[in-house]
Amino acid sequence: MADQTPFPQLLNVQIDGVWHQFPKGTRVIEACEQAGSYVPRYCYHKKLTSPGNCRMCLIEMGFPRLGPDRKPELGTDGKPIINWIPRPQISCAQDVSEGMAVRTNSPLVKECQRGVMEFLLINHPLDCPICDQAGECRLQEFSVDYGDSKSRFLENKVKKPKNVQIGTRVTLDDERCILCSRCIRFCQEIAHDDVLGFVDRGSYTVLTAHAGKALENNYSLNTVDICPVGALTSTDFRFKMRVWFLKETKSICTSCATGCNTVIGSREDVIYRQTPRENDHVNSCWMCDYGRLNFKYLEAENRLLEPQIRFEGKLVPADWPTAIAQAALQLKQFAGSEIAIIASGRMTSEELWLTSQLVTSLGVQWIDIVPRRGHGDKILLSKDRNPNTNGTRLILGSKSEPGAKLIGIADAVRSGQIKALVILKENAMHLGLPVEQLAQLPGLIVMNTLPNDVTEKATVVLPACGFAEKRGSMINGKGRLQRLNRAVRPPGNARDDWEILHDLLQATGGGDSLSSVDDVFRRISETVPQFVGLTLSKLGDLGVHILAIEELPPMHPSDGEAIEEAIAIQARRRGVRPASA
Amino acid sequence: MDEAIARYPSDHRRSAAMPLLHLWQEHFGFVSEEALVWIAEKLCLQPINILELVTFYPMFRDKPAGRTHIRVCRTLSCAMAGGFELMENLFTTLGIQRPPAGDGMHNPIRISADGDYSVEFVECLASCGTAPVCMIGEQLYENVDVNLIAGLLRNQTSNIKHQTSPHLLERRLIFKNIGRPDWTTDIDCYLRDGGYEQLKQALTLSRADIVNKVKNSGLRGRGGAGFSCGLKWSFIKPDEKRPVYLICNADESEPGTFKDRYIIHEDPHQLLEGILISCYALNARTAYIYIRGEFPAGAKILGRAIEEARTHNFLGKNILGSGFDAEVYIHRGAGAYICGEETGLIESLEGKRGYPRIKPPYFPAVLGLYMCPTIVNNVETLCHIRHIIAMGGAEYARLGRPNNTGTRILCVSGDVQRPGYFEIEVGAVTMGQLIYEMAGGLRPGRKLKAVIPGGSSAKVLRADERFKLKQKQSDGSTIEREMSIDEIPMDFDSLTAAGSMAGSGGVIVLDDSRDMVWVLNNINKFYAHESCGQCTPCREGSLWMQKITDRMLRGGGVVEDPKALKTIGDNIAGRTICAFGEACAWPTQSFVEKFPEEFAARAKKPVPPPLPPEYTPEELIEKEEIPTVPMAHDPGWEKAGAKGTI
Repeated sequence: MADQTPFPQLLNVQIDGVWHQFPKGTRVIEACEQAGSYVPRYCYHKKLTSPGNCRMCLIEMGFPRLGPDRKPELGTDGKPIINWIPRPQISCAQDVSEGMAVRTNSPLVKECQRGVMEFLLINHPLDCPICDQAGECRLQEFSVDYGDSKSRFLENKVKKPKNVQIGTRVTLDDERCILCSRCIRFCQEIAHDDVLGFVDRGSYTVLTAHAGKALENNYSLNTVDICPVGALTSTDFRFKMRVWFLKETKSICTSCATGCNTVIGSREDVIYRQTPRENDHVNSCWMCDYGRLNFKYLEAENRLLEPQIRFEGKLVPADWPTAIAQAALQLKQFAGSEIAIIASGRMTSEELWLTSQLVTSLGVQWIDIVPRRGHGDKILLSKDRNPNTNGTRLILGSKSEPGAKLIGIADAVRSGQIKALVILKENAMHLGLPVEQLAQLPGLIVMNTLPNDVTEKATVVLPACGFAEKRGSMINGKGRLQRLNRAVRPPGNARDDWEILHDLLQATGGGDSLSSVDDVFRRISETVPQFVGLTLSKLGDLGVHILAIEELPPMHPSDGEAIEEAIAIQARRRGVRPASA
Repeated sequence: MDEAIARYPSDHRRSAAMPLLHLWQEHFGFVSEEALVWIAEKLCLQPINILELVTFYPMFRDKPAGRTHIRVCRTLSCAMAGGFELMENLFTTLGIQRPPAGDGMHNPIRISADGDYSVEFVECLASCGTAPVCMIGEQLYENVDVNLIAGLLRNQTSNIKHQTSPHLLERRLIFKNIGRPDWTTDIDCYLRDGGYEQLKQALTLSRADIVNKVKNSGLRGRGGAGFSCGLKWSFIKPDEKRPVYLICNADESEPGTFKDRYIIHEDPHQLLEGILISCYALNARTAYIYIRGEFPAGAKILGRAIEEARTHNFLGKNILGSGFDAEVYIHRGAGAYICGEETGLIESLEGKRGYPRIKPPYFPAVLGLYMCPTIVNNVETLCHIRHIIAMGGAEYARLGRPNNTGTRILCVSGDVQRPGYFEIEVGAVTMGQLIYEMAGGLRPGRKLKAVIPGGSSAKVLRADERFKLKQKQSDGSTIEREMSIDEIPMDFDSLTAAGSMAGSGGVIVLDDSRDMVWVLNNINKFYAHESCGQCTPCREGSLWMQKITDRMLRGGGVVEDPKALKTIGDNIAGRTICAFGEACAWPTQSFVEKFPEEFAARAKKPVPPPLPPEYTPEELIEKEEIPTVPMAHDPGWEKAGAKGTI
């Protein structure tokens, strides 16, 4: 009966002498952590099954002593008297139960932890100085917290394969592996690609993949994240940077509409890696390799670094005021019906809002974005590879399918009706027109990070920021508004996109006093109902769900499953609704 | 091959992986890369899933062996009886190069230059009473004369001294027919002896009746843990909706134990009848006999017994018109001791590495084979079921002692004149009677030094110890009595009270010629080899203990070694997923504790400081003097200088 209420039943559990309450279904190890008694663990991962193999989370456990009436006997304090199990128990595989008691720091528990630490280290190479995991290695950390400073191991260590390319993106050092099986379970349970396994036996057990099938799935780098030691390292990241030097910026991935939450690791304006950040509304603890590694272009040698204008038939560098003025001049020459804007589903909501202001101000009638569709994998990767398609719908007010108007725009360019084309963070070649045709336009204003075939034919080039170089918000495929944060500064004279758009808006006469991207967001919240009451700061690290299911875009027939899933999520949200939401 | 797959539920084809690997290896001689891929595809698996198995189970090999493959038992009883000399003589006679020194997971297979012969050390072949033994192909050779290799290779039948008549102190129930000259394994012989009458009788009883009889009998499991069989059975709900499985644990492999071998090889129908009665009692429609891979002949004998029983409608559909259906299948292991652990066995039966499961939540009676309720019983235990039906639970309980009922088979091996099997009423015989009267006593001039009373994992008992045992009197009161090792009654509770266990009934006797470090090293090698490697303490600790005793034996023992051994054992026991932790820790803990003088004598070198210089184990062994440099935090550091010695 209790199970049918939206709030789960609460159970009384004694942790290190203090009674707490936890919802039914809470793992003992999680309950301890919530109560402030962290229990060390290697094999346990809350998103994976529990094999109980590392034995690091051993604790003492007891249950109420039952009297002849099968009811707990109470002590003088009115609390149940505990019968302690003489053997230590693992805390990762059991849920709390009524009256359960645990000790997480008793002499026996400490002795167990010390013993396991010693066992894990005897055959572990002490190569921390050259190990990429150093600084974020559980073995290192728990050595300090639970281990001994001395070794009494006088024997030869077991030799195992080193520097194994277990997949194109993951490198394996078997001597460092503590055989916790997290990676194996991840591949089986999350990536649905049963590719890793243990071979040989006992202390000689080795993690490996079969020679004919490497760890190549699009989630392979998550195994590096969850590897508690330096056994699995990212081939891309290894030996590039000591992790303690990395500045960590919470952001989101912009490679598809899922919007996986991320941490960007950077140092001195160089990004070294991107790792997933837990958000159970979006990506659990995972992200795909494609999204994770999709930041290299920010470092591309051909990044657009300077504003440029066409002068005597050639693109020449200009300062920002000149470039903006030139662009505004070209746009003001024409009527709204003679201007088309190609915006992008990769732009932030703030940038889109400024674009919509530009549209209004200039009376532009042709505006669309470039759709990006690919294979979805039913795990995280969405079919929609634009991160903010929902933002374009909501803020640009577009009623048609993304990209539906591109053919019309192309026809209008071809017929000469369009005189000026503004291309924001897109490649105009998507219009399907020959580049020569675009080159003949009197106004071809390009805002982007990287050059493409059209850039060199532009009349004005405005160098902008990549996703990790700016702050702003996007609405993911399931209607969650999330925030990008700036991890690095843009290179050269590239500027934040919102500033460029804002200056252009002012220069064309439609501007007003906005001094920060937060101001832009505030203006959105005044005009777009779904944004009401929000600020960019209020989105927090985990974002806010702003689109109800009926507000989500019409799905393709093949998206049936996604719809069902979204409905389920909505139902769940409504069922057990925290007061603040 | 399809027949092998059909033995398992269609949604659990993976279970057929080991049968297919056996079939492939029998046909092609080894498991090739091609085999991995082919079998994986056949069972809708990935090649890695099969590779995991081939490398876990040492009986599977990824390279060809010689045309004649010889497996020599390396484990304790055989080693004491000359197993190593046998191996040495095989190397010499066959002109096979000895393997290079050094450690490795499995004992390597060495092949003669002409490819005719190959030899391999294997762990306990469960014939400790006829040590030393080896297998040539699928044939077991017992009591091998290590100096007559030529005769052995000419396929001379082995020198089996069958125990024909039971000893006077015995009470034969299960072993009534073992060793009888007129006894054969076919069903007609069994039927002439009143076979399958108990099955017929059981089918007329209600399930609850049978479970009650077993409860009343007080039968305790004969596999090692001694858990109450009736209680185990009562965990199965009578109204269970999921299929219930019965598994007969015929993976006998605890060193010193060889009772199940004789039941399987000489009285298969007794086992089958016990299984079928149990199936009926538990409403299990499917039973698997998980038989160790090293019993190929036993698997064939049981296979034939199943077919014979089928023709008499003792199994199959509508058994003897009762409306009850039951199938019994044989599943062969492949050389992994850990598959004797019930949840390791279940994993193995599911076609995986024999990794024991965590309990909770995976109690077999709740979440066992294919996550269905499962009962795993030892061979001997299941045979007792038949006799409980015949005698009635209460009558059976009169055998033996309270809480230690029935008969049990004790296997005696090691330094006695007449090693072998003896079935006794539990507790009716003392250790002294067993060793001196039944097993013929020690060899002339030898004195008893120690006894390992319940398989090699049981804690060793020292011959000159005094034991304080609480004994229950017939009036229910208990008195404490001090006694010598000879006076300890051979039952579950007495051996537990003496600080060891009755375990699997394998009694290994050690006389005063034995070096206890050598004995422990042999045992440690076994457990290090058999550790599945799943959980940390046992995986790392078992090999560490072996490496220490190895080094001590070779002259490299340091003063801290005995203490290190003891504490490593302490850090394993009670902290692992399964009871293997205790199994591998108890020998070390007890040997070091009971024979401190022998361990101290082999641990005399000083402990080298960690830095600098470091000593490899080899250097510790070779060097007589271990110069040590005091550590930096030592106040004597500056005075002693870089050449100081401790």
